[in-house]
Amino acid sequence: MTTTDLIIGPQHPALHEPERFVLKLDGEYVVDVVPRIGYVHRGIEKAAELRSYIQDVYLIERICGICNVSHSLVYVQTVEALQGFEIPPRAAYLRTVVHELNRIHSHLLLLGVVGELFGFDTLFMYLWRDRELVMDVVESITGNRLISAFNVLGGVARDVGPSQISEAKRAMEYLRGRMKFYKKVFAEDPTVEKRSKGVGILKPSSALSLCAVGPVIRGSGIKTDLRADDPYAAYGEIPFNVITYDTNDSWARFMVRVDEVFESIGIIEYALDHLPDGPIRARFPRRVREGEAVGRVEAPRGELINHIISKGGDKPYRFKCRTPTLANILAACEMIRGGQIADVPVSLSSIDPCFSCEDRLAIIDVSKGERYSARIRDLMAKYGASR
Amino acid sequence: MSAGMGEADFLEALKSKLGDKILRASVMGPRRVAITVKPGDHRIAIEALKAFGGSHVSTITGTDMGESIEIAYHVWCYQAKIEASIKAEVPKSSPSIETISDLIPGSMLYEAEARDLLGIEFKGLPYEGRLILPEDWPEGVYPLRKDWKPDWLR
Repeated sequence: MTTTDLIIGPQHPALHEPERFVLKLDGEYVVDVVPRIGYVHRGIEKAAELRSYIQDVYLIERICGICNVSHSLVYVQTVEALQGFEIPPRAAYLRTVVHELNRIHSHLLLLGVVGELFGFDTLFMYLWRDRELVMDVVESITGNRLISAFNVLGGVARDVGPSQISEAKRAMEYLRGRMKFYKKVFAEDPTVEKRSKGVGILKPSSALSLCAVGPVIRGSGIKTDLRADDPYAAYGEIPFNVITYDTNDSWARFMVRVDEVFESIGIIEYALDHLPDGPIRARFPRRVREGEAVGRVEAPRGELINHIISKGGDKPYRFKCRTPTLANILAACEMIRGGQIADVPVSLSSIDPCFSCEDRLAIIDVSKGERYSARIRDLMAKYGASR
Repeated sequence: MSAGMGEADFLEALKSKLGDKILRASVMGPRRVAITVKPGDHRIAIEALKAFGGSHVSTITGTDMGESIEIAYHVWCYQAKIEASIKAEVPKSSPSIETISDLIPGSMLYEAEARDLLGIEFKGLPYEGRLILPEDWPEGVYPLRKDWKPDWLR
């Protein structure tokens, strides 16, 4: 069989981020797909080894703008585990609240983008309007919409007062009503059905063998969620359900996210009602003892893991971070295989790809020659990696 | 899903399967264990984890330890609810180890990533070419090794 190559990307294969997929086509059908990542690598693992544990909080938070809270959370938790350090209970609850707000805004962002991909722009605008409400709550609690350095070594940076709590709870109540409407749209609207049901099938056996994570594996009916299976922060004390759907298609993965927003609202309300009193931060030493630790959190897109090796001192010897999108790339290729070209953007977006998250290791790949080295020089001068 | 098992029980159960193939074993923290084996035995160790639901490779860390490169396979065991880090050290002069991508296909990109950035050869890895580094990156230069400094780019 002769096939035609169709190259999707590196510009914006799904969301507005670069990645390249080479599709092998037989007519309208995709026979095979080869991923090539690395277009937005920034060398963060290396840079983290050259900076102190405290500087790294701010560096690692910038791995991803969307799920920044997950990145800073897993990092501070891993360093705290390395040191055998217990944070105050109030800090654990506040971390949970902000982590869940982060999940809600990330899920709403993706669902909105999916609306746009379906050709359903009204849905996109509604969802993003309501997402702004969550961003306002995040801003009121953390001090900024996105990168806010809320999670710090030893606890959190800011406390919440009664007015912020009531504002957050009011927003959650409103959002719950809106989400009922969106759930009806995603469950019943013919546009959503035609574009996502039966599209991008990922069988449970494939999801497991390809080591998929997050809403992708839960959309294939496998009940796994680190908040329940490997609890951290305050999740061990807060009741919630792990959402699964078993239709194995893009629709299932979108519905998992819709339902997870309801669970997140419940977690936030419970945590704010049961917020322990006491300090929000304990003094964390500058130098960390020798050893190693593996930390994991359930980021909006799935399992996010850090592995830190310390040889003592104030800098990590090795910082390793694997983001959920990298774990789901092979699963995405599996979804695309056998489907039609027109379904590729929907299948790809159903993993909620975040390529900036995934590509952090080397240096920005800007083809060849002058531009390349100039970029690197700028980068190094600006961020002072050789200090 | 099961309720999981304790770290010490897990290590005991694994020792009864692997015996003296385990060079070192330790509990890193709640639901975290580390087991060091010889290169080659890592495949046997990863097979043994399947009895505990260990089918999910979270990631693979390669670390330049000076004379050697340590490769750590982090495997989540769904039933035991333990993240087991299986480690093996290979000499830095010829870092080479058998792939595990035939045992757990989801590990393929992590091996390709470690090959790009640390120069570890994974024998039998089906993914060819570069995954992360640009095509015009010089051969034999591995940015995550300790002897590589960012100012070399200037």
